[in-house]
Amino acid sequence: MKNKIRDAFLQIHATEQMKTHVYSRLMQQMEHNKRNRAPLRSLAAAFVLLFLCIGSSFYLWAAPVSYVSIDLNPSIELTLNRFNYVTHAESKNQDGAILLSTIHLAGKSYIKAVELLIESEPMQSYLSKDAALTFTVASPRAEEILAELKTYTASTPYYDTCVQTDMATAQAAHHCGVSIGKYQIYLSLIEHNPSFTLEECEAMSMHQLRELLYKYERSSGVITEPEDDYQQGHHGGHHGHH
Amino acid sequence: MRTEQEAEHAIELYADMIRRICLLHLKNHEDTEDVLQEVLLKYILRSDVFASAEHEKAWFIRVTLNSCKDLLKSLFRKRTVPLELLAEESASVLPENLEVIEAVLALPERYKLVIYLHYYEGYTAKEIGKLLNKKENTIYSLLSRGREQLKLELGGDSIEE
Repeated sequence: MKNKIRDAFLQIHATEQMKTHVYSRLMQQMEHNKRNRAPLRSLAAAFVLLFLCIGSSFYLWAAPVSYVSIDLNPSIELTLNRFNYVTHAESKNQDGAILLSTIHLAGKSYIKAVELLIESEPMQSYLSKDAALTFTVASPRAEEILAELKTYTASTPYYDTCVQTDMATAQAAHHCGVSIGKYQIYLSLIEHNPSFTLEECEAMSMHQLRELLYKYERSSGVITEPEDDYQQGHHGGHHGHH
Repeated sequence: MRTEQEAEHAIELYADMIRRICLLHLKNHEDTEDVLQEVLLKYILRSDVFASAEHEKAWFIRVTLNSCKDLLKSLFRKRTVPLELLAEESASVLPENLEVIEAVLALPERYKLVIYLHYYEGYTAKEIGKLLNKKENTIYSLLSRGREQLKLELGGDSIEE
């Protein structure tokens, strides 16, 4: 059987010079990281002790700093504290409530919480039918959180659908009782169709909403690429509305 | 954080694959080296355990693609055939193989990667769909169109179905 592509690419290698160069740069970086960690660990330990001593540790632990909205058809919102730990996990629809009834997320790092959600049986069942999982992050540290989500094992397949928004959009979504992710796409939809309602938005899955936005953008000429390039995640670049 | 031995092992195992994926998307060796370093650094700084070797490999493919995308977004790049990138290969690669590589690199972006993942890495359309978060039917369609273009360029008997 002919496979000239395999035969051809078999001859492509990273050169020994490239590997040596990269290895040496990696070792320097690892050394730098090791040196930085020791004083940081001591500082972190002293900091925690200080919190306990002055008695305000509970407030500092619990105060919300960031929100991560996870939308597929279940919609779930994670509230994170300043240490990126989940202080509260809230379902934004019935499917989300069913999902959360099977997993306990409070007190876990947000990355661990995301992993537990994605790898849960109910979520895997949803993902097998519809892979339009969207992460929307509202946080002063959105870039840091998004960067980690995009490389973490469980969530990296959804790289293109990890997006950020601002806290004003998050607050508006809370006020309306809708997930941040759906609220953000709702804002994009009403730019094309002002009569589209929040109730209609809530009733649709993220996949349906993205298909609808795609249809509007295509008919208004915003999109000209072939459909198969636009199947997933192109809408992931939207930022929050003010 | 992973150990130096794990870093060295990862370089030996995945550097060639990362290099090939970069060849599909990037235009020069400096960018390839940057992506190689970035991907390996992310691997070393992560502490999560992979369920299997296949799982680990799939992670490397996705993170490499993401790094290439980030690099291309951050800089203006001319979308021309990467002649500089092939200059190093032209000395060591057989002419008939160089022709095939150039033909694959000349494909539209959306076909190149699926053609490489299927014909070189051996992934099925279903596996590629999962890897790239695209529908299986979309992958079949991309493979079919990519194959047609390659057949026009290289001749009808050069690529198996």
